[in-house]
Amino acid sequence: MKIFKKILIYTLLGIIVIIMIFPFVWMVINSFNSEESIFKIPPKIIPDKLFKKDMFENYITVLRDYNFLRYSLNSFIVASLASIGQIFTCSMAGFAFARMRFRGKTIVFALLLSTMMIPVQVTIVPEFLLMMKLGWLDTFAPLIIPSFLVGTFGTFLYKEFFENIPRDLEDAAAIDGAGPLTMFLRVFFPLSIVQTTTLFIIAFMNNWNDLLRPVLYINSTKLMTITMALTQFQSQYSARWSYLLTGAVLSILPLLIIYIVLQRFVMEGITHTGLKG
Amino acid sequence: MQKKLCTWFRPYHAWLFLIPTLLGLFVFRLGPMVAASILSFTNWDILAKPKWVGLNNYQELFSDPIYREVIINTFEFSLIYVIGVIIFGLLLALIVNSKVKGVTFFRAAYFTPVVTSAVAVGIVWNWLLSPHYGLVNVILENVFKLSPPAWLGERSTVLVVVAVVQLWKMSGYYMILFLAGLQDIPRIYYEAAQIDGASKWDSFWKITLPLLSPTTFFVFTIAIIDSFKNFEIIYTMTKGGPSNATTTLVYSVYVNAFVFYRMGYASAVAYILLIVIGIITIINFLLKKYWVNYQY
Repeated sequence: MKIFKKILIYTLLGIIVIIMIFPFVWMVINSFNSEESIFKIPPKIIPDKLFKKDMFENYITVLRDYNFLRYSLNSFIVASLASIGQIFTCSMAGFAFARMRFRGKTIVFALLLSTMMIPVQVTIVPEFLLMMKLGWLDTFAPLIIPSFLVGTFGTFLYKEFFENIPRDLEDAAAIDGAGPLTMFLRVFFPLSIVQTTTLFIIAFMNNWNDLLRPVLYINSTKLMTITMALTQFQSQYSARWSYLLTGAVLSILPLLIIYIVLQRFVMEGITHTGLKG
Repeated sequence: MQKKLCTWFRPYHAWLFLIPTLLGLFVFRLGPMVAASILSFTNWDILAKPKWVGLNNYQELFSDPIYREVIINTFEFSLIYVIGVIIFGLLLALIVNSKVKGVTFFRAAYFTPVVTSAVAVGIVWNWLLSPHYGLVNVILENVFKLSPPAWLGERSTVLVVVAVVQLWKMSGYYMILFLAGLQDIPRIYYEAAQIDGASKWDSFWKITLPLLSPTTFFVFTIAIIDSFKNFEIIYTMTKGGPSNATTTLVYSVYVNAFVFYRMGYASAVAYILLIVIGIITIINFLLKKYWVNYQY
């Protein structure tokens, strides 16, 4: 009876794994296929370029000839700067909400939480107008600055953490002559290494995956992010599935590596706050 | 408790720490919200100076038969998504909550689609679902001898398919939320029920579900918010087509503002979206007291 139940559970777990990751596996397999072999019936389980001399031909073409190396780098710059910004903004706000008393605290916090519920499309038209007036169209600034300064998830994460630090630590630091800024930078912020890592990963993923802002603000080919480049590629060369799939693999590979190495932080961050950015 | 204690900080310290957040809040969230409401009463098109047109945009919107469809699409997408992620998320959580070896691997695997971009997900599913040559139809035609539809090419199937793809992508996230809730339920309740002779089935309905209700409410709220964020998947999979069958309010804002450059009209659409979200959120919170119980 016990063994029967175990078999049942593993079968179920296995079926769901296939449902959840097979599309990606199939995509990776076919990124080693030539264009003709992708649409063969019956489908080829072993791709025709695997372990051949031109095994990475699709990858080389996409990275070099279609500039995906450049787009990955752009995404990396945008996502890194935006995430560092979120750490800066959210850690300070979290500290203020957790340790300080001031009039209007609940109102500001409630406003911050409620704006999280509003899709970015509601505010995007005036935001576009603002970016236009600032002369920031076709630069990285509109991709970085809004995300830099707005971070409900991060603020929540830091607030929860800083609230649970014993007051003695604050007292000790103050008695040793630390002002608010020193106390934050030298005592509280260094303690939040787990929260900081979590926020960095989640903010990085969200910014890496963003599509709307790049589509609106970026015109020059050399400034495109990888998600935007993929959609452009999709509409221009809709027939080249081998390259499109390779591009898609390249766009999720960095995130997948970060996720596999640091998945504990991602899961725990979500479990603690229930939010994902 | 802290209220009576003295503090090392002055109120202005707090405001200094909040400068970046407040800047973001007012410049990129609240300010644009107010600005959008004003713009929705104008005919601004980027080129010419905006002119006040009163309620014209809203009148045009309500008399346009396409908008009835867009609003229905929005609700249909949300309904499929919310119900789907709750049922599927809970099922996944129940399965990965069992104490078998290697279960953390399965948790991580189920979460994988969440971390990938909607663009990559859209491209993969476009390919798998393409008519005749897509793997799904190849299997259905050759193994099961069926004649499946062109999933993304037909008005009758396309919206459901896109919503299901999004639900597939996100269910791992809801699994984690439910899992946290499940692990918070004290084990003694199950032990007590077992001693009283309750079956697993009974304990699920009589213990798990009622005690999980605060989590379910939270998940429900998050899922509703999330269900409107469908721009990326629609942009990559269908571009709102065929003939508006997958145009939702969120997508319609984008098309009107940045394809047709009707900024004023797009702002009116954005406000309809805001009102829809507002109404649903209020209903959600009003109904809360009838099914959520916080006491163990």
